[in-house]
Amino acid sequence: MPADEFAAGAADVSGAEGAAGPAGWDDAPGPAVAPAAGRTPVPGARSIRRYTARVARRRSGAGIGEVLGDVYYAVVMTAIGLGVALGLAGHLRTTLPHVPDQALRSGISLPTVVAVVAVVVAGVVLSLSARLGPVGAGGAEATWWLGTPVDRRGLLRPASLRLPVAAGLVGGVVLALLDGGLLADHGLGHVLRLGAGAALVCAALVLLAGHLQSRGVPRRATALAGDAVIAAAPVLALVAALAGWRVAALPDVAWWVLVALAAAVAGAGFWLDTRLGRIRGRDLRESGSVASQAAGALVSLDSRELGRALSDSAARPRRRRVRRMRLVRGPVSAVVVADLTVLLRSPRHLVQLVVSALVPVVVVITPQLAGAVGVVLAVLVSGYVGMLATGEGARRAEMAPVVDRLLPLSAQAVRRARLIVPGVAMLLWSVASFAAVGRWEGAVGPWLLLGVVSAPVWAAASLRAAYRPSPNWEGPLVATPMGALPGGVAAVLARGPDVAVLGMVPVVLSVALGTVLPVVVAVQAGVSAIALAVGASTSTKTMMDRMAEATDAAEAEKKRGTR
Amino acid sequence: MSKQPVIRAVDLLVGYGGEPVCAPVSFTLPPGKALALVGANGSGKSTVLRAVLGLLEPVGGRVEVLGRAVDEREVGFRTRVSSVLDDDAYFPALTVAEHLYLTARGHGVAGADGVVDELLDEFGLTEHAAALPVALSSGQRRRLLLAAGLVRPRSLLVLDEPEQRLDVAMRDHLAQRLVDEKRAGGSVLLATHDPELLRAVADRAVLVADDQSRLLSTADAVEALRPGVL
Repeated sequence: MPADEFAAGAADVSGAEGAAGPAGWDDAPGPAVAPAAGRTPVPGARSIRRYTARVARRRSGAGIGEVLGDVYYAVVMTAIGLGVALGLAGHLRTTLPHVPDQALRSGISLPTVVAVVAVVVAGVVLSLSARLGPVGAGGAEATWWLGTPVDRRGLLRPASLRLPVAAGLVGGVVLALLDGGLLADHGLGHVLRLGAGAALVCAALVLLAGHLQSRGVPRRATALAGDAVIAAAPVLALVAALAGWRVAALPDVAWWVLVALAAAVAGAGFWLDTRLGRIRGRDLRESGSVASQAAGALVSLDSRELGRALSDSAARPRRRRVRRMRLVRGPVSAVVVADLTVLLRSPRHLVQLVVSALVPVVVVITPQLAGAVGVVLAVLVSGYVGMLATGEGARRAEMAPVVDRLLPLSAQAVRRARLIVPGVAMLLWSVASFAAVGRWEGAVGPWLLLGVVSAPVWAAASLRAAYRPSPNWEGPLVATPMGALPGGVAAVLARGPDVAVLGMVPVVLSVALGTVLPVVVAVQAGVSAIALAVGASTSTKTMMDRMAEATDAAEAEKKRGTR
Repeated sequence: MSKQPVIRAVDLLVGYGGEPVCAPVSFTLPPGKALALVGANGSGKSTVLRAVLGLLEPVGGRVEVLGRAVDEREVGFRTRVSSVLDDDAYFPALTVAEHLYLTARGHGVAGADGVVDELLDEFGLTEHAAALPVALSSGQRRRLLLAAGLVRPRSLLVLDEPEQRLDVAMRDHLAQRLVDEKRAGGSVLLATHDPELLRAVADRAVLVADDQSRLLSTADAVEALRPGVL
């Protein structure tokens, strides 16, 4: 009986052609089928890129004038943004409380806080670059470019440069703003050198992530390393406070250090360029897909989609241990357990929650920041950041309400159930944050009470932000300084932050007064109750929408009456 | 014609995150032959194809293409292996014809203009040659992908359910095209649910399943595709 030529062992004969071996492709027979008799040389990667770009440019009708106009617009807007940010930082510096030298010896110094922020920026750069690739080829590029036998390095070169340049710009600007705006005047040279140094370090971090990607290190591992750096930063600040470590001023980066850094970054960039062809196609496709999803979310002003893109890109690929869901006793507890499971399976959000709780602690032990303005900003901003971490379950349910639809619960009841996990999480956040504020104010008990009473506001804001409708892109666009935007976009984006800001007015008032009055606690309780009602509401209409509807209805009624 | 097997998979175990999605598969694809992967929805056919194309790291076992370890980073691999998966991504500003020119010229095809014109005609896309992908129906986009898989040189053609979104006439044409591919010395690995395509093209089939994957004759594979069997 002849051997089955399709069986796996058919060709597995010692010495037979095709036996396993580390053969290269140079001696392999050419393609068996060709659509035409002849071959021309395979074009260079640059010509493939340029052909695609040239056709796209021609079809879009954009001439050199439009391109220059866009560049001019972007440069002017960036300059204005930087000027505003610099002015705000400078203004903040002038409003910082004057602290006597003796007081400065306790707690941590402002330069130490800025150094900690620099560590956070480094962690963010590493984490984000790993989540976004940093090198990728998404969608059409993956389908139509990666299959061609051209040198992939040329195809991927622009993509490999994009993130290091962007990270360098952002990192440099942030550090320069903090140094020039917030810390004492050191002169323009100091600020520029520090900004340039930060920019080079940030670019180097992205290049490092690229190297790890080219060596097959999972993106999740690199992203988690970045998250760990972010988590370590506030802990570092607390340790510095306890140990009495103080940074008197940010270092003046010498020119030769900058030159050495620049040479190192250039070398790392060149080294990465030589390895671009070693990045596996599946990694390029995954990274490109995440980057496209994130860019789409940014353009469409959908922060929820952005969060999903960044979370999923670093999600554990393995199947999870199946939980028996023994805590589920009914539909409400099913929703709560589902939300809790989503939160616990997302380390990024847990880190975000813990770090946000430590921010007020760091602020109150920094004498130069521990004023009413600094504490209010710390509570509001870190509370908002922490609140966003707790709404992951609701955000995912808003996109795909799979569990919700299976349960015998009304939409209103589902919303109420979804308040529980953010509520408990933000209660823990409030205990940590308000205990620190209370210690700073010299009366922990009343402040803890205020924190507990105000916690529902965060939960309501979290839910309201998670369930906000998307901007209506089908309506007419409105010209704004940020470009053309759909009408009502501000109202949509404000859903969530509005409840947080309005609901925390009693807390802000208490910080301004420096004490917690019983009447303020009572008012906060009332405000929290209203916030819960708003957060659990299933209506997506704004007050303006409702007023317009009421006006329309009244006019229609009047017309009917006239007839 | 070289007797070297085009694909050899030995206990190839595929999956995601280290978790297999089906039983190990073993097969050899000789040159000038076609092998079909059949199985229920979600059985792992597309995952096996992705492993053969180097787009997915196997969980276990090994797979070789033309006697070499699968590595899609190698230019030689990309020169000889053409694939049509379920990708639905296009350059929004490039027309149908321009997508094909890009592929043909990217592979160094001589006389790309004539080759592209022939394929446009063959796949009923001549009238849409100047259309942007957004203006195409899903079936037309599928035909564009199939034309792109054939506009370039290859030794192995890998197709993931090529019958999807095609009308009956185009399915028949595709079947004939794949038979011609074999006659010209090319090899075809395809995943399919279409008994007619299977009968017309495949020389053998592999049933991909959870418990045990095994080689089937074409007739048995056609039988396995009947409703209620898988």
